[in-house]
Amino acid sequence: MTGQTDKLEYDVVVVGGGIAGQESALNMADSGLKVLLVEKDLSIGGKMIHLSKVFPTLDCGACITTPKVSETARHPNITIATNSEIGDIERLPDGSLRGVLIKHPRYVIEKDCTGGGDCEEACPVIVEDQFQYGMVGRKAAYVPFSIANPRVATIDIENCILCGACERACPADAIDFTQKIEKREVIAKAVIVATGFRLFDPSIIENYGLGRFRNVVTSMQMERQLVPTRPYNNVLRPKDGKVPDNIAYVLCTGSRDITLGNPICSQVCCMYSMKQGQLLLGALPMADVTIYYINIRAFGKGFEEFYQGTRDMGVEFVKAKVGTIEEKEDGDLILRYEDAQEGEVKEAEHDLVVLSVGMLSNPEAPMMFKGGALELDEFGYVRQVDMLSNPASTNIEGVFVAGTASGPMDIPDSIASAGAASAEALSFIKRKA
Amino acid sequence: MKSRIGVYICECGSNISDYVDVEKVKAAVEQEEGVVLAKITMFACADSTQQEIVQDIQEEKLDGMVVASCSPKLHLGTFRSVAERAGLNRYNYVQSNIREQASWAHSDKPAEATEKAIRNVKAAIARTRLSVAMTPSMIPSENTALVVGAGIAGMRVAIDLADTGSKVYLVEKDHFVGGRTAQWGELFPTGQTGTEVIEDLYREVGKRENINLYTGCEVVSKSGSMGNFEVQLRIDPRGIGSGDSTAVPADFEKRLTHAIDACPVVVADSFDFGLTERKALYLNPGGLPGLPAIDRAACTRCGECVKICPEIDLDQKEELLDIKAGSVIIASGFDPYEPKEGEFGYRQIDNVITMQQFRRLIEICGERLTFGGKEIKSIAWIFCVGSRQTGALEGDNKYCARYCCTSAIHSAVVAKKRFGDIQNYHFTRGVRTYGKYETIYEESSSLGDIYLQSFEDDPPVISSENGTTTVKINDILTEEKELEVEPDLVVLVTGMVPRAGSTIGSIMKAPAGLDGFFNEVHPKLKPVETVIDGIFLAGTSQGPKNITETAMSAHSSAIKTHTLISKGEIELEPTMAIVDRTICEWCGKCSEACPFDAIDEVKEDTKSVAVVNEAACKGCGMCLPVCPVNAVQLKGFMDSEIEAMIDAMSE
Amino acid sequence: MTEEKGKKKISILVFSTEKISDPAIDLAGLLKQHYPPEVDNISVPCSSGIKPVWIMHAFERGFDGVFIAADGTDCPFGETCSEKTAEIVSRTHELMKEKGIDPAKLRMAAICSVCSQAFVKLVKDLADYLDETS
Repeated sequence: MTGQTDKLEYDVVVVGGGIAGQESALNMADSGLKVLLVEKDLSIGGKMIHLSKVFPTLDCGACITTPKVSETARHPNITIATNSEIGDIERLPDGSLRGVLIKHPRYVIEKDCTGGGDCEEACPVIVEDQFQYGMVGRKAAYVPFSIANPRVATIDIENCILCGACERACPADAIDFTQKIEKREVIAKAVIVATGFRLFDPSIIENYGLGRFRNVVTSMQMERQLVPTRPYNNVLRPKDGKVPDNIAYVLCTGSRDITLGNPICSQVCCMYSMKQGQLLLGALPMADVTIYYINIRAFGKGFEEFYQGTRDMGVEFVKAKVGTIEEKEDGDLILRYEDAQEGEVKEAEHDLVVLSVGMLSNPEAPMMFKGGALELDEFGYVRQVDMLSNPASTNIEGVFVAGTASGPMDIPDSIASAGAASAEALSFIKRKA
Repeated sequence: MKSRIGVYICECGSNISDYVDVEKVKAAVEQEEGVVLAKITMFACADSTQQEIVQDIQEEKLDGMVVASCSPKLHLGTFRSVAERAGLNRYNYVQSNIREQASWAHSDKPAEATEKAIRNVKAAIARTRLSVAMTPSMIPSENTALVVGAGIAGMRVAIDLADTGSKVYLVEKDHFVGGRTAQWGELFPTGQTGTEVIEDLYREVGKRENINLYTGCEVVSKSGSMGNFEVQLRIDPRGIGSGDSTAVPADFEKRLTHAIDACPVVVADSFDFGLTERKALYLNPGGLPGLPAIDRAACTRCGECVKICPEIDLDQKEELLDIKAGSVIIASGFDPYEPKEGEFGYRQIDNVITMQQFRRLIEICGERLTFGGKEIKSIAWIFCVGSRQTGALEGDNKYCARYCCTSAIHSAVVAKKRFGDIQNYHFTRGVRTYGKYETIYEESSSLGDIYLQSFEDDPPVISSENGTTTVKINDILTEEKELEVEPDLVVLVTGMVPRAGSTIGSIMKAPAGLDGFFNEVHPKLKPVETVIDGIFLAGTSQGPKNITETAMSAHSSAIKTHTLISKGEIELEPTMAIVDRTICEWCGKCSEACPFDAIDEVKEDTKSVAVVNEAACKGCGMCLPVCPVNAVQLKGFMDSEIEAMIDAMSE
Repeated sequence: MTEEKGKKKISILVFSTEKISDPAIDLAGLLKQHYPPEVDNISVPCSSGIKPVWIMHAFERGFDGVFIAADGTDCPFGETCSEKTAEIVSRTHELMKEKGIDPAKLRMAAICSVCSQAFVKLVKDLADYLDETS
């Protein structure tokens, strides 16, 4: 380490500020332990904070996450480090865990920034907004998204032209271009890995034409069109801004497909596609929605009932694997698929196609550990060494896994998994004490 | 009277504003008496809005606050804590439910939904005007948990809670621990056996002095509330000694075995789902504690066993035990679905059994897989029996039982690997091997298992003629459609249903959901909590789960219980009855009506009056309507508040 | 928006209970099981704590009907709840008769925490009755 100063000590370090990380941190903190929550993004909230409504209750995603985010942010036992990573985690001879916290500069003094957005207005640089999945632009000086926590601006230094407009516009003098990466040594009794998942990028499936055909979108892009903080305030197809009236969902995009290296099911795509179907029928009552599926995995509490409800609302279900998608001149799309019921190849025309992308493991989880000491399973998820009794335990004593870092799961399962991680970590700490 | 009230009308993204005209609501309420501020928010619960509200309360010196948003069951606590952060008493906050009870309930009639929302918010404002600051009372609580059920969920909860410093009563209705898992052999995906998993947990339970395990034990009654439940337990006698291992004579085990042999009473063995028989004196295979028990319902008290083993005591009496507990965790598990007679040939055709029977069959049949004397070379698996009962399938179980697809396919693979040369035919309704469980589906396919899928409205038909059982299916995946298989054995893939005849729900007052399993408060916000404070759920009592999911649920339940009871004191709502002594002319009716003995007669100078014991009062209000002179009121629900709400709604 | 002019809408006040029947009414909303929007709701801890004077006040203030969504056997406060709530209803029926109000305008039924359909049906029935008799 480079000229280290004082080290930080916590009972638990939770890595990842999504729903599983927050739930774990809150459980530990409510039990009186001191928690450091490390989040690599600019805001905590993970993927869930960006969702529209969530199955099977159709509560809005934000209604569940924002109060949790708020509770996490103001809990006296939780310290949050956003825009930060932790690395080189290792077990010390005394059984404690040591790592290095790396805080990346925002070029904004967090405690002074009010999130007012003057810098954003002043900034002349426009780039793609990663939080809207590339559908709209943002500035190089920006507040990540409206319900971000902390609601603090940041400078995207990659795209910044150093014109200084933000500095002049900020009423709080919070812009600071001299900020550097900060590294601090952290010691903890336990670590909870809640690093979440990656979304499958379907542009590698050439036959589906994502990127080439503008009216082929991913389910996450559609999700952003359905949320209250949505970019267009309406459901529009990207190519010509037309309101779609015949929408197709292609399930198992990137899941259950050994040729793409991901043989397993992602657990959530069936359900979120049905949810989007219901929301679309609500927003566009005249539209047709067709879901192309292999098997419907509606297995959780209230899920089968949700599936039946989706069918009753008029969403069409076609048991078929979609082979190729082609674009017509007017931007409509032709799906070629093998209809399982009729055993023949068929074609259907739709004016918007949504690829229901699945989950992949997050490769960042093992990279945090010195020498790659954290074992993974054959699918790249953190290996659960005692699946049937202590499903959060990993191969490293004192290191636990929560949420989708251990495999695909939906929100209720992620929360249960976080319960397991925090209970196991708490028992571990108490037994050692 | 509160005269500086802030009103926040939440759009809830678009959940409310899609149907309720929030601008109209704001315009209608901002002139109400006492309202100094009315705002529309996109998400009232978002951190930035919370900060804004705190700022408003402080800057505008608000003395009351209304948030019109979702049901108070979701976010009453959230906004109460916002009020408190700003220095406003939490009981000067009132939540108006304009989502579940206006925008969603009346999404078909937006104009009327808006009118209802306006009435609702006005009522909340009226109530806020009359609200008074109150202080919740702190009462000492027992750092003790009662865990009901000693299967994998219950033992897991008990171990966690013991590790974090609580005392635990772990009670099991059966004479042996382990629940359903004890009945299973090889488990997916680890390859451990059910017995091994249970042995591990039982050993861990035994190591912890602060766990009191009672087998043959049922909960009889419960009184009291969160922090201080008083529970009566009934312990059925095992009929054999006290299990004091230090004093076991050398030949004790051998004599017990002989005593079992000598028992003349034979009953169907429920451990093997009726595939085999056992004696009235019995020890389950691998049963723990490893001491036989007497099935008192079957025992004829003939005394044959006592002649061989005098340690057996047929006169042991049941014991009643009164305990105190801060919280109760219901881990009562599930029952396998029991098909009705004739359902897919069950109990009418000899070689039709359930999946759970099959799991026992492969454990007891030895080296060759036989059933009814016949070697099994082909098996037809009929999926979704007792689950997803829609369309052509009669029954009330609309839900998917989650674990059965994976479990059936795993059972088929285990059988094939263990006994070789078995052809499996899976009659599915769409295979649901979610997540990583996909791998077992692939493995079974690669081993040559055949998958057929029926149409939703056209289930497979099972018939039998001249000793040959036929399964017919209209398969959606083949061109000829109608297929026939003549299997040696038909296994009905039966799902999970709530425990039959369990009284724990009615004793604990834990409500069940539409599927009959106990209901959590909210699947994401409070997944292991019930609406009854201090009563938690673990494992399959809440809904179908596999073993890993059960473990996660149990751990979650443990940590939530821990944070509730480990602090030694618990906050109670100050909702309590109060008596106006100037009006009261002691008649005793309120005292009679009180289920908690919280009202006593106290003699004053000239008369006797009723006095409420605040430590005992639970705030139900049963004493209110019985008072002939209307001298009793409930804090938070005073006549003036209720009447003001009615006035506001009927304006 | 189609507004029916002329005839006054039937208004009903529901007394629900915080732990048991109010969740069922929430569930009706969640499942979009619609019922007349002129149904307002006041939630109290237990249905056996509802005072006849509150019910009478509602009639005085112009509510056409009152429905008590009772705890029934699910009551967390004790076994006697159904009986006590029924007693409140019969006493209020007497008061209503004295004032010349049709006692059938006050109804009660136990509504369990997931009995949303029962709730919707019962308030619709009451609304229909009130509509016919008004």
